Amino acid sequence: MVTVNYDSVKKAYGDTIAIEDVNLHVDDGEFAILLGPSGCGKTTTLRCLAGLTQPTDGTITLDGHDVTDVHPKNRNIAMVFQNFALYPHMTVRENIGYPLKVAGKSKDEREERIDEVAEMLEIPELLDRDIANLSGGQQQRVALGRAIIRRPAVFLMDEPLANLDAKLKISMRSRIKVLQREMDITTMYVTHDQEEAMSLGDKLIIMDKGHIQQIGSPDEVYHQPANQFVAGFIGSPSMNFVTVRRDGDRIRADDAPDTFDVELDSEVADRYRDHETFTLGVRPQYFEVHTERTDNAIEAAVEVTEPQGDEQIIEVEVGDQPVSLTVVAPSAIDAERGDTVWLTLDDDLVHGFDTDSGRRIVGAGDQNRGVASTPEGEMTSD
Amino acid sequence: MTTKQDTQADVLPYEEPSGIEQFQETLREYGVTRAVTYGLLGVFLVWTLFPVYWLVTATLKTRQTLLSFPPQWIPLDAQFGNFAQLFAQRPDFVQFIINSTVVTITTTILATTIGAMAAYAFVTFDYPYNLDFHLPFYILSTRFMPPIVTIIPLFVIFRGVGLVNSLQGLILVYTMFNIPFAVWMMKGFFEEVPDSLIESAMIDGHTHLGAFFKIVLPLVKPGLIASAIFTTIITWNELLFAVILALNANAMTVPVGLASFVTKFSVQWINMSVGATIALVPVLLFAFIARQQLVRGFSMGAVGK
Ligand SMILES: Nc1ncnc2c1ncn2[C@@H]1O[C@H](COP(=O)(O)OP(=O)(O)OP(=O)(O)O)[C@@H](O)[C@H]1O
Ligand SMILES: [Mg+2]
Repeated sequence: MVTVNYDSVKKAYGDTIAIEDVNLHVDDGEFAILLGPSGCGKTTTLRCLAGLTQPTDGTITLDGHDVTDVHPKNRNIAMVFQNFALYPHMTVRENIGYPLKVAGKSKDEREERIDEVAEMLEIPELLDRDIANLSGGQQQRVALGRAIIRRPAVFLMDEPLANLDAKLKISMRSRIKVLQREMDITTMYVTHDQEEAMSLGDKLIIMDKGHIQQIGSPDEVYHQPANQFVAGFIGSPSMNFVTVRRDGDRIRADDAPDTFDVELDSEVADRYRDHETFTLGVRPQYFEVHTERTDNAIEAAVEVTEPQGDEQIIEVEVGDQPVSLTVVAPSAIDAERGDTVWLTLDDDLVHGFDTDSGRRIVGAGDQNRGVASTPEGEMTSD
Repeated sequence: MTTKQDTQADVLPYEEPSGIEQFQETLREYGVTRAVTYGLLGVFLVWTLFPVYWLVTATLKTRQTLLSFPPQWIPLDAQFGNFAQLFAQRPDFVQFIINSTVVTITTTILATTIGAMAAYAFVTFDYPYNLDFHLPFYILSTRFMPPIVTIIPLFVIFRGVGLVNSLQGLILVYTMFNIPFAVWMMKGFFEEVPDSLIESAMIDGHTHLGAFFKIVLPLVKPGLIASAIFTTIITWNELLFAVILALNANAMTVPVGLASFVTKFSVQWINMSVGATIALVPVLLFAFIARQQLVRGFSMGAVGK
């Protein structure tokens, strides 16, 4: 049983606040992902648990024991660094076995475990090679091996796949997932790649500007984003945001009131009854594109089309003071630059965000209402 | 925005393109043919090696043949007795060699160890007032002035505390003298060791000190050896401080001994040559044994290929 708990953790470097008000909980055996844009404090959060960074404030507990001031060597934690941090003066075998050597395990036991781990990672033939002439993917496996050999209480990884090419990334990704499941080790994993995060994690911890924005399952953060930041960060292409003014069940875009004028299902519109203006959020997938004039549709001019195989991404502009939208449409739809298309909204799937606070507006009858586990306190957003 | 961790050296292997052929091509373009290159190299070789040759052959000559004109290029009847003669005439020369050895070895160990530890501290830790940036410079600045200006105050102080004519005094001065070099040399090496290696070692169960000895030191070994060799050479050959601070046979070093062959009345050329040749051997031997590490120490970083 290994659980991880952060209680109001803060780290400041002089006047720069790297992370603040970080509260989170990782269950035994859970695969938690720290996700967010560059510089948002993911690495800092992870390093605080490893003991490599001393928090300015707050406490971190492992299984209920306060480890905030415990030396890294006494935390029984393993970590895979982005640059792998393999010991260049040792062979693969020595690298993998090093944690056991430091722990004073006998040579026989070490050899046995090294072989076992090498088997798991399918690298037995590399064991006697030097580190310097391994490929990136091979170094990555050695780093993983060195981390798992000790059967640590918690497994930390800081963008372990960032240095690998796209194909290798995907195969290593599934390997990591299988290993984690098999060994059932509580894991915290840092990435800024949302696709990686969605496919690996049980729990996503989304950060921005040093604050946690939302904690939830991949499904929750996608379908029930806590705020505009999360909604925009998760999903590709990014969600469209349009400031709209509500008039009964109708909403009109502030910048293109004549063209962007749609009537919402009254049940949906009812969610926003307390908001005269709000930010409408629509994923590119939730528009339907028509090539003929359609009822209750937004007329738009095609700017760019990007074929993606089965589907295409279309950038359109609405109105004179144009509102730009990104939509995803089946590639069967014949649209070219300069064409006019009509967009209808999938009412049920749109989101509304409070324009000032950025929080998602959750109203009665919202099937996405399920309140995501959002941290208490002020929410930051753009 | 990059952070400290983000800029760490990538340890992926890569192949350095060899520039030798390009260089030769460039030389040819400027009309420097192979013959000219070898000619210049030959001149350089003679220029640097002839004095050594002359010194070593002098040990086998008599005073007359050494100073004869035209010179005798090759010693015809070798006087191997010259070596025995030196120790017969100057029995304390053995003591000088012992003194030099003790002073050199102790100084090398002290200066390299202290220098390496200081350099590591400067590279690894953050000090208030940006001292990790300023202090190495101040350390270097102790070498800005000509050494001779510190000799008088040093002599006065040493006389006061009884360090004149002692090996301890010489070791103290030489260690102080060599630390700046060791610090700056080692700083470059430590800077190339990624922080993540040390952090990784701590997570694998080491204390910081353990990580320093088990992970960092092995990686900077070429640097340690290079700075040890330099310290050895400088210390072994040092004359200026020794001649003032070590005046009797108890503390005299080989260079002072050699200088003493020049007297008011004559110069004992043969004894001097023999002594100098003997002095040449240990440093040459040390550098030869460590030459591989030495070259690596200067041509690449700690974690390199
Ligand atoms: N040692 C340090 N000194 C000063 N500021 C730091 C230090 N380490 C991190 N920071 C700052 O703290 C903030 C968070 O950094 P952190 O490395 O945790 O970001 P990150 O989310 O891991 O980013 P990336 O995806 O680029 O790795 C950044 O603004 C960074 O500049
Ligand atoms: Mg990071």
